[in-house]
Amino acid sequence: MNSENFFLLKNKNGKTSPKNTGNRIILNTTVRLLRNITGYKFASVSSGREKSILLKKIRQCVESTKELGAFRFFLVKNLQKIQRDLLLEDYMISARIADKVQGKGLFIRSGKIKGESSSIIINQEDHLMMQSVRKWLNISEAYHEASEIESHLESKLNFTFDENLGYLTASPINLGTALKISFIIHLPVMAASPKIAEFVKKLNQVGCLVHGYFMDDSEVIGNLFKISNMVTLGKGEEDIVEEIQAICLNIIDDEQNARRKLKKNDLLGIKDNICRSFGLLKYAKILSYEESVELLSIIRLGLDLDLISGVKDFDYFELINKIRDPYIILDQEISEKVDSDRMDLMRADLIREKILKESS
Amino acid sequence: MNCDFCHKNEANIHLIKIQGGNVERINICKECAAEFSFLNEEDFYGDFAKILYRFFQVGDNGFHIGRDKKILRSINYSRNRKCSFCGIDLKTIKKIGKVGCSNCYNEFKDVLYPVVKSIQGCIESRGKIPVNTSSRIKLEKNIRDLRSRLKSEIIIENFEEAARIRDEIRKLEKSIYEQ
Repeated sequence: MNSENFFLLKNKNGKTSPKNTGNRIILNTTVRLLRNITGYKFASVSSGREKSILLKKIRQCVESTKELGAFRFFLVKNLQKIQRDLLLEDYMISARIADKVQGKGLFIRSGKIKGESSSIIINQEDHLMMQSVRKWLNISEAYHEASEIESHLESKLNFTFDENLGYLTASPINLGTALKISFIIHLPVMAASPKIAEFVKKLNQVGCLVHGYFMDDSEVIGNLFKISNMVTLGKGEEDIVEEIQAICLNIIDDEQNARRKLKKNDLLGIKDNICRSFGLLKYAKILSYEESVELLSIIRLGLDLDLISGVKDFDYFELINKIRDPYIILDQEISEKVDSDRMDLMRADLIREKILKESS
Repeated sequence: MNCDFCHKNEANIHLIKIQGGNVERINICKECAAEFSFLNEEDFYGDFAKILYRFFQVGDNGFHIGRDKKILRSINYSRNRKCSFCGIDLKTIKKIGKVGCSNCYNEFKDVLYPVVKSIQGCIESRGKIPVNTSSRIKLEKNIRDLRSRLKSEIIIENFEEAARIRDEIRKLEKSIYEQ
């Protein structure tokens, strides 16, 4: 199993992401539907053996469904450590249970364009998690895909359901529709403004959770936020989709206004910031992951504001995924034991290769 | 009006939550409100998962600040109460913030429902229902959906449509009755 067919971020037809995406503020949309199967304990208490039995049942069910034929199955136990790391970093398996691998599996199908995929994750927190990932802002398409996968399975598997609580999930946070919509958002200008606290509060008020994108979310790195819906009970699926869609459009508006204002009021300051970041990326020999993400965020802003030359138009989200340690290891086909300086050196070279125009 | 939580004191804080046409009222007395972490503004607008965690987090030396005394009492009385299907006890549920099986929601209803209500705002599912649910539940959901549509048609004074929906509701109610 090589990196190419494993992670499926590379598309079969070699198509790249669409050029005119309107805005580059919302980078990625994920829709998740959680389901559990009647008569089985939830993953938090079930033994490895019980998980394996359930996994077998679900696997048979998915594999016997004609419409889900494009999905490929992976047993988490059989994945190499590096591939598990990649999954962990992409949040398909949670950190705490990444070591307890017995009875865990997943189905993955690549999407039409690079960076899109859908998956069925088995025996994580809940028995089934049907997930659809889309680039940019594309909530309704992602929801329909996840819901289509669910509809193929619901006649074959008995999902736990209660007329008051809706779909029963391991955590009370997800009860009801068990629908979680999240999106990754890049707010280089808003994040730097003092208004950000107010902005987060506003989002909380309309029922959204705001986190830094990276796993230990105490600090926000690269001006990336992950926003998701808080309430899953008491609303219909379509209502949740519509609400989140409206919230997204508002956020895009806010950030664009903030950018326009900044360009008008402090052009020199922002130019200086962008050029400094560019200088660092161009000449630095050792670039840690966090620093790279921060710098690339500013360069991306420079491109969006048309204030920088000598840089190729790059896909920020795709690039920050590519420069993660596990990807570099896979990509460069090196052994896993590399000291961090060498890793950072390779990262710096990789970034230059990806973003600098040849002439410069 | 008595407090929804201690049922003793006069409630002097009234929360009204309007969600998808559904109006939910919570009445609390000052003492209970102070105890509730979810009424603290910072928490309320903060991370709901955190609230859940705090709800569950009861120190071994008795009460932790801020939550429903009644829930706490029942948790403390029955810390070792176990779910008859999966065997998980309340202490573990509190610790991990997750239940062990779907039966837990039934078994620990007295403890979990208030928690769910504080996180989700209500205990009334309005989402889709699985294809293989009993037809009664499906009918009831249809009626609920129609009722909320009826409300909105009346608001925009579209009485013709409202009358049609009303008749439809009656028809469905009759069929439930016959079942």
